Amino acid sequence: MSSTESVFTANGVTCIVPAQGKSRTIFDNLAFAIAPGEIVDLVGPSGSGKSSLLTAFARLNPHATGTFALHGHDSSEFTPQQWRHEVAYLPQKPILPGETVAEAIRLPFTLAIRAGADAIGNQNADSATAAANATTNAAAAASLAASSATSISTPHTAPASASAPHRIGKVGLGRKFMALFHNNDQQARKLLTDQKIRMTLDAMGCEDIDLARPPHDLSGGQAARVSLARTLLTEPKVLLADEVDAGLDDENAEKVADIMATAAAQGMAIIRIRHRPPDGRASRIMTLANGILSEQAGEQA
Amino acid sequence: MTDNAYDIDIWGLLVALAMVAIAAGISELMRINIGKTLLWSACRALLQLCAMGFIIGYVIRANNVFLVFAVIAVMLVAAVQITLSRAKGVPKGLAGPVLLSLTITMLLMISLVTELVVRPHPWYAPQLVVPLTGMLLGNTVSALAVGLSRFYESMNERRDEIDTLLALGSTAWEAARPSIVSSIRLGLLPTTATLASCGIVTIPGMMAGQVIAGGDPLEAAKYQFVVFAAIAALTLVADSLIMAMVYRTCFTADDQYKPPEMR
Repeated sequence: MSSTESVFTANGVTCIVPAQGKSRTIFDNLAFAIAPGEIVDLVGPSGSGKSSLLTAFARLNPHATGTFALHGHDSSEFTPQQWRHEVAYLPQKPILPGETVAEAIRLPFTLAIRAGADAIGNQNADSATAAANATTNAAAAASLAASSATSISTPHTAPASASAPHRIGKVGLGRKFMALFHNNDQQARKLLTDQKIRMTLDAMGCEDIDLARPPHDLSGGQAARVSLARTLLTEPKVLLADEVDAGLDDENAEKVADIMATAAAQGMAIIRIRHRPPDGRASRIMTLANGILSEQAGEQA
Repeated sequence: MTDNAYDIDIWGLLVALAMVAIAAGISELMRINIGKTLLWSACRALLQLCAMGFIIGYVIRANNVFLVFAVIAVMLVAAVQITLSRAKGVPKGLAGPVLLSLTITMLLMISLVTELVVRPHPWYAPQLVVPLTGMLLGNTVSALAVGLSRFYESMNERRDEIDTLLALGSTAWEAARPSIVSSIRLGLLPTTATLASCGIVTIPGMMAGQVIAGGDPLEAAKYQFVVFAAIAALTLVADSLIMAMVYRTCFTADDQYKPPEMR
């Protein structure tokens, strides 16, 4: 697969973990590529390094090295935050900080990469620019929610952000200082209102989830779906789902798989780590075993 | 010493030591097994305080600016050592940041409290600067030790949350912020508690000392307030400075979470 049709490519991915003074090579020099809208299942014995591979793709793994590219842009052109904005790793354990489910879902929009850079910029800019920015943000948020909630059949158009990876610079010390006192909750509420979250969750078949409830009260299946919805609402180009359906009953696993299939139909590239039998949604199944990544016989949806 | 001060003679010290010895003896009888430590600590305290008294006495009499700052430098180095030995579960190599944060705080205190509020002659008046630095360091050392221990403990506890935050595109600062806030809060807790309770529940040590030594109680109260206010503000400064300097030790250059064994 050439890099022009792939949304994401990885080459020379190596993971070496220090263990009792010596170092252990989990995998060495792996290559991988995925096209937009594709669902790839990653299987293999436990301990073979599937999670390490996905965290390496998201540049979250301190033990891994490799060359990664998004739409042909090398990962070095992105800050880690910009990269993870587009290549989103979804951990197996749903962690939902916040008082309510709505707050937990809004969490990514309180971060500088989405809200803070604008919010802090607004304070320095004159009020007219600030107002203009706010309108643009609201419009962007509206289109975001609309595309997630309603235009399920229309193909996902890739935003132009990948071609301009340097949009948001590294957060400086002054900004960090401001951020310590600045509350992005207001901004996040504007970017992602309760109604939009509701619409999106309903469109994902999550009518059973009450936004005002504490996340702690959610069942395992609900928490997994909220965690998935949170990441999907950030609209990454590549979703790295680490055994999201583990520990769920068949019904909930089916719901989670449906949600991801819908996102893939809109153009999101999805890599799933799975332990369940194939569910017919993956276009390819890759096996990682003994440090070798190999493709199984194709299973077409 | 003023005329109405009551000096303590050698017998007074012996009575105080005897009190500790009796308490230690009782604790041994009750098998609490703290007697030895108690007695040993009391003897150490007596020696250290007397030594400090001699040194400060000498420095005051010498009235030399270099000597004053030499004493302060020794106090700073000792403070760094005590902070690091008290802080649990912190990585190596924090001596620099701790020294820097203590030094900045100390300089701030000398410039603000001494030169702006008290305005002594000469400006480096040893009888003011040395005890003030001692009180400030005593407070910041415990605040830093508690704050640092809490920060690393919290970063270890929040490992999954931090990984999730980073995966959602947070900066290292954003991912560490809850731990920073909770550690600063915990480090400042004793200071705010002292501020709120002083004068009602307790007569603070400095004020008590001034009153016992024959000073005017209202004058002593004013001094005590200035010192408390400065200590509270500067403890917050020291804690914030150290957090800003060390939170990065929990992350790699690529904003990845660094587990404790890699720090």
